[in-house]
Amino acid sequence: MQDASTELSYLLRRVAARDTAALTSLYEATSAKLYGIILRILKRRDIADEILQEVYIKIWERAVDYSSERGSAIGWMAAVARNRALDELRRVKPASADISDETLQLRDPGMLASEAVVRNEEYRRMEYCLRALDGDRQAIVRLAYLEGWSREQLSQKFGAPVATIKTWLHRSLKQLKDCLSS
Amino acid sequence: MTEDDDIDMLAGEYVLGTLEPSMRGVVATRRPDDAALDRAIIAWELRLAPLNALTSSVEPPPGLYAKIEQRVKKLPRARRATVVATTANVIKLERRVATWQRIAGGASALAASLALAVGLGLTAPTVQPAAQTYVAVFQKDDEQPAFLMSIDLKTREVSVRPVTADRQVGKTYQLWIKDDTLGPTPKSLGVLDEGIATTKKSLTGYDAALLQKATFGISVEPAGGSPTGKPTGPALHGFLHPAAP
Repeated sequence: MQDASTELSYLLRRVAARDTAALTSLYEATSAKLYGIILRILKRRDIADEILQEVYIKIWERAVDYSSERGSAIGWMAAVARNRALDELRRVKPASADISDETLQLRDPGMLASEAVVRNEEYRRMEYCLRALDGDRQAIVRLAYLEGWSREQLSQKFGAPVATIKTWLHRSLKQLKDCLSS
Repeated sequence: MTEDDDIDMLAGEYVLGTLEPSMRGVVATRRPDDAALDRAIIAWELRLAPLNALTSSVEPPPGLYAKIEQRVKKLPRARRATVVATTANVIKLERRVATWQRIAGGASALAASLALAVGLGLTAPTVQPAAQTYVAVFQKDDEQPAFLMSIDLKTREVSVRPVTADRQVGKTYQLWIKDDTLGPTPKSLGVLDEGIATTKKSLTGYDAALLQKATFGISVEPAGGSPTGKPTGPALHGFLHPAAP
């Protein structure tokens, strides 16, 4: 499993060296994961299709920035994808605040099999730390990170002023940081 | 709350995605010039990355990759120009090289009317105090030779060597320095040696601070050098970049 993760890092290095065949392999191995992340934030397939293209072009251009200090290759690529999707989301009007309970549920870890073993330990730690958050804050962090919800949307959903949401977010981030590093 | 806390929360919310759009824009703009902010963002990306396990994979529509491939092919050649890495020691430096390409690619001031030129940063030999050594690579496209330049700011000695062998016959390459404080036109630093030789020049007439911010150019001139005292042929520009991060 470690090998597959190493292979992604290798592919990224080849992409940094402008190897288009490596980009093809990288796309085959990672596009479903990144598309899942982007689509969940942007909700609309037509926009997600465009953003996924931009994300791989960005990866092509910025693969040189990747190093192991940036975490796993898929983690770095996911950060590029989320960042771009969030930029898009914040540029256009906020996506519908309409949510079902389903979005709050823990979904199947849809990560690459290649990453699963390596990341499981980290994920279990994250899950533990998330559960340690008070009340609604676990849901707030998930909605923000996974669904791209804004402070305003969170404010509506949880019936708290935006300033309060901001305070909750900060406290949650700090608590997560402490918990994850302990 | 300390400043560090502020930066940490700003970065945390940036990664989480909950900053209001205007603040998100400010962070994105500030990030390249603010190392502490950049570090904090990377740390939050790493910290929160396990949450991605909660999102299921979704197969993108077929045919999307073909579009990506087409768009990648249309990118400016200079951005694809790690072909400069034709010698072993340059290949090792690929990563840093390309980082600098990206920086240079973003610098709109670069050579407006001239062919897009690219400065590439390279690691310094380990024996050298890194901060003293600055490097740039000049490259126009695959057809023009590329040059590596390094300057030791302490001794103010510059060395330039071609990294591709196909220098044009009957042409001379000439090195220039340009900075607003030196007047409106580039000043000649002399012609480069023929062939694959490394040219060394002493720039003790220029102070280190100026050398650090100046633009350097290499132009293609008639044999013997520019007849006018100004660059006459196609030129390559580059900015110095610290040889170590």
